[in-house]
Amino acid sequence: MRRVNRTSAVKGAALAVGLALAIVLPFVAPDPATTNIAVFTVMYVGLATAWNIMGGYTGYISLGHAAFFGFGAYALGLLLSHFGIEAGFQPFFFVPVAGVLTAVIAVAIGWIALRTRAATFVIVTIACMFMLQLLAENLVGLTGGGSGLSFPVPRWSGDFFNIPYYFAMLVLALLGLAVSWWIRGSKFGLGLLAIRDDEDKALAVGVPTRAFKLTAFVISAMLVGMIGAVYGYYVTYIYPQFVIDPLVGISMVLMVFLGGMGTIWGPVLGAVILEPAQLWLAYNFGASRLYLVFYAAVFLLVILLLPRGIVPSVMDLINRWRRHRAAGPTGRVSDTRDAPRAVPRGAEAP
Amino acid sequence: MRKPVSLIVAGLGLTLAACGGSSGGGGTPQSGTPITIGVSVSLTGDFSGDGKALVQGYDLWAQDINAKGGLLGHKVTMKYVDDASSTQQVVTNYQNLITQDKVALVFGPFSSLLTIPASTVVDRYGYAFPEPAGGGPQVFSRGLHSIFFVQPAAVEDNLVSFTKWLLSLPAGQRPATAAYATQNDPFTQPQVDKAKSLLEAGGITTASYKVYGTEPIDWTPLAQQVVNSNADVVILGTQEPDGVAFIKVFQQQHYNPKALVETTGPDQGKDFADKVGAANTEGVMVPAGWWSSAKAAGNDKFTSEFVAKYGGAAGDISADAAEAYSVGQVVDQASAKANSIDNAALISALHSGTYQTIQGPMAFDSTGKPNGSSFLVQWQNGLTVPVYPSSAAVAQPEFPKPNFAA
Amino acid sequence: MTLVLEAVLLGILTGGVYALMASGLTLIFGVMRIINVGHGALVVLGAYLSFALVRSLNIDPLLSLVVTMPAMFALGALLQVVFIRPLKTDREALSVLVTYALALGIEGLLGYIFTSNYVQLKAWYETASFPIFGFRIAYVYVIGFGLCLAILAAMFWMLYRTSFGGAIRATMLNRTAAQLIGVNVDRVSALAFGVGVATAAAGGVVFGITNSFNPGSHYDLISRLLTIIVLGGLGSLRGAVVGALIMLITTDVTAVLISPVWASFAFFVILIAVLIVRPQGLYGIRVRDRA
Repeated sequence: MRRVNRTSAVKGAALAVGLALAIVLPFVAPDPATTNIAVFTVMYVGLATAWNIMGGYTGYISLGHAAFFGFGAYALGLLLSHFGIEAGFQPFFFVPVAGVLTAVIAVAIGWIALRTRAATFVIVTIACMFMLQLLAENLVGLTGGGSGLSFPVPRWSGDFFNIPYYFAMLVLALLGLAVSWWIRGSKFGLGLLAIRDDEDKALAVGVPTRAFKLTAFVISAMLVGMIGAVYGYYVTYIYPQFVIDPLVGISMVLMVFLGGMGTIWGPVLGAVILEPAQLWLAYNFGASRLYLVFYAAVFLLVILLLPRGIVPSVMDLINRWRRHRAAGPTGRVSDTRDAPRAVPRGAEAP
Repeated sequence: MRKPVSLIVAGLGLTLAACGGSSGGGGTPQSGTPITIGVSVSLTGDFSGDGKALVQGYDLWAQDINAKGGLLGHKVTMKYVDDASSTQQVVTNYQNLITQDKVALVFGPFSSLLTIPASTVVDRYGYAFPEPAGGGPQVFSRGLHSIFFVQPAAVEDNLVSFTKWLLSLPAGQRPATAAYATQNDPFTQPQVDKAKSLLEAGGITTASYKVYGTEPIDWTPLAQQVVNSNADVVILGTQEPDGVAFIKVFQQQHYNPKALVETTGPDQGKDFADKVGAANTEGVMVPAGWWSSAKAAGNDKFTSEFVAKYGGAAGDISADAAEAYSVGQVVDQASAKANSIDNAALISALHSGTYQTIQGPMAFDSTGKPNGSSFLVQWQNGLTVPVYPSSAAVAQPEFPKPNFAA
Repeated sequence: MTLVLEAVLLGILTGGVYALMASGLTLIFGVMRIINVGHGALVVLGAYLSFALVRSLNIDPLLSLVVTMPAMFALGALLQVVFIRPLKTDREALSVLVTYALALGIEGLLGYIFTSNYVQLKAWYETASFPIFGFRIAYVYVIGFGLCLAILAAMFWMLYRTSFGGAIRATMLNRTAAQLIGVNVDRVSALAFGVGVATAAAGGVVFGITNSFNPGSHYDLISRLLTIIVLGGLGSLRGAVVGALIMLITTDVTAVLISPVWASFAFFVILIAVLIVRPQGLYGIRVRDRA
């Protein structure tokens, strides 16, 4: 009993420290080069967490989430220009509206895509992403087409500019984490995990699989859409092929894989490791043109050496160490007593 | 790593300054200190071919300016970073260059696609942004005053010379119909659309007008539609691969328009001739802001040095390299005029006066848009020559275009 | 009317190439249940290999297949053994990431060696054409189509007339049962992957003759190929062929009748419509996820 309390206390303290660090970061390291990387890193923390709500919990791998990212960006851009919103802090308040619009389109896409399973689902999400990209490119009157869409540009000084965006991304990432944590502990979350393990059995047992899957999909898409909206505002100008970008979609997935699918902190860890590394690598080694090969190599190493991700692998190690201690002086450790097979992979507390 | 070196040089510089070197303004480096100019170029990704040409142009300029003693006495080092042709990276790069590496000046990246997001970053730090390749209408409509597009004409005016020439043909010869096909890209579409409105106003009927996405792999159906329109004249808003593909289809279908102009493709020199077949280049036109044997400030020197440094023939030099070189020339003249390399001083200097570059003279309005026009170049006997307007022309325009090889 | 007829004809001829590429992709899925998102990159790799051979030996591009197909077959088997076989858990999801990493690696390597300039395979007969029904068709399309038909026929023959093909089909139907009757599923998987990659090489040559390409061309290719095999039904070769023909004919006809910009979109609409009615695709079978 006491050990459990100690673990929770340690976890709570770590959480508080992490949060405090995240909040004071822009004041401790106000250098724009750093805050810029911070903006993109926290952005990916949010994206990975949001993707995990669908992919990690239900097991339905969506490779087309970049569609929602771009859609959210376009939604905000069009809202701002339609209502003539001035640059500054006001646009941030329209981000939730962009999120709601993204949720609406996610319902439509999800309803179609979720009729399929597993591999077909993956490909259908990719197809939907390309469809949205085509729409963005060709509905020129609405989106500006290939010439792109402009956002109002705040007249903040170079030193201050990144900070509001950093906090906007941080708020969204924390929102995503909170939602993810809440889902984990709820019956809804249990249902999602059941779907991941064996959907037909879950259906037989009475889990409303269609409704649950669609809900998870829409929540995930809405978060991604809001993050995309802030991104569009940050870079101030978006194009269809750059903002609905398969690389963004794949990066999210890779980060969750690296960190650990279905865990809460896995996506965070994955994002915090991969995004700054990628930006730094491109800045310093891009010139050698082998940057893509290098990235792919890292990618492959991660996947082959840590197939379950960092968090579950680390948890395994810790659990094994604990069992070893609990085994006592004889050193006998019984494997069959622990790690109950019925518990879905990744459902252990992160 | 750079710090101890620059301290030493600064010390030397101070001594030199005492002997009568020029002085910088408020926050500018001491005279004689070497400066770094930062550029984000596309070394990987979709634009990497153009990125490489930009680097060649910038490097050649840096070499020339250092031979002259530097930019207002400051030796120039170029620092290049790769933006992988991505928005995220280009925004990150300019922030890093300006705030972390603290470069003295920045030059622009390739294409409006990357220039536009980069321009807001550069502007908020008060840096001047002379750039060689972002000239689409949106570049100038964002209310920024620090950006300068170093080409003779804004992108949408590129085909104006062509339209003027076509409309100047005597009534008996003038074509009656025109077909248009363009990518919906900020470089190609504005030019073609403007040309279309000018030609329609001049009485040339539009037989076909098609806009296509930047992604289709197979341009055959599109080219087929142009063929089926049977227009006298064809105006294509293409990049290089589609420019070549259209000509191949025209040849396959035995379609021979009286005039054919493409926005990019025919300006790629030997590469273009190899791909379409040397015999098929005859008569094809392309707008250009620079040409290898034009009489413009420093052009002879540029072409001979380029060939000496990088090999190849003068006719194969990419216009991207010339545009990059011009950026350097403009900054050189502006800093001499303002007697400072301080960014604010450069910005105000660049808004007035005329600058002599290897692309000809140019001047910028308050949004950084150049107010000149490009000229029309045509393939004749395996070489590209300017043919219109007469002030730039070296040969007469060939009309009608000879048929493609059967 | 001739325009539509022309579009249909062109759609059939170009559909052959996509049918060939898609059949390799769907075969790989059927045998190993993995989605090879690197297939487009392998096609481009095959095209570049041919390009290098043509450039240095000055031969007809189709002749280069004699070298590239066996080479790519070996490469495919090797890739499967090194990168795919070790994936024990979560095969489908992980395989997507692994094959995507391979695609990135191939793209980077090709970009480094060949730069990102567009190239095209030159055949001396590429602009020759013949008249039919009031318009002209270029010979390259017909020759390419013929080649694709030949290779597809060879593939069907292998699958239905040889014991190796039987082993492949057994593995596709039920991996465990196939093992029980003595099929070495690991070896079959590796060889099937090799076959899939070899067909990609062949598709690459025909693709490279009729289109210009650069290392980044694989994105567009793979998105088309994936949608084709989903329409046809994952794992079904017949489906891959039919799906490819439907896709190319639809896009070409839409380009003519409506507008080129909506051409790809029309195909996606058809895909969605089919999936709503038949989520398993035209020829797919509804399988239990974890049989």
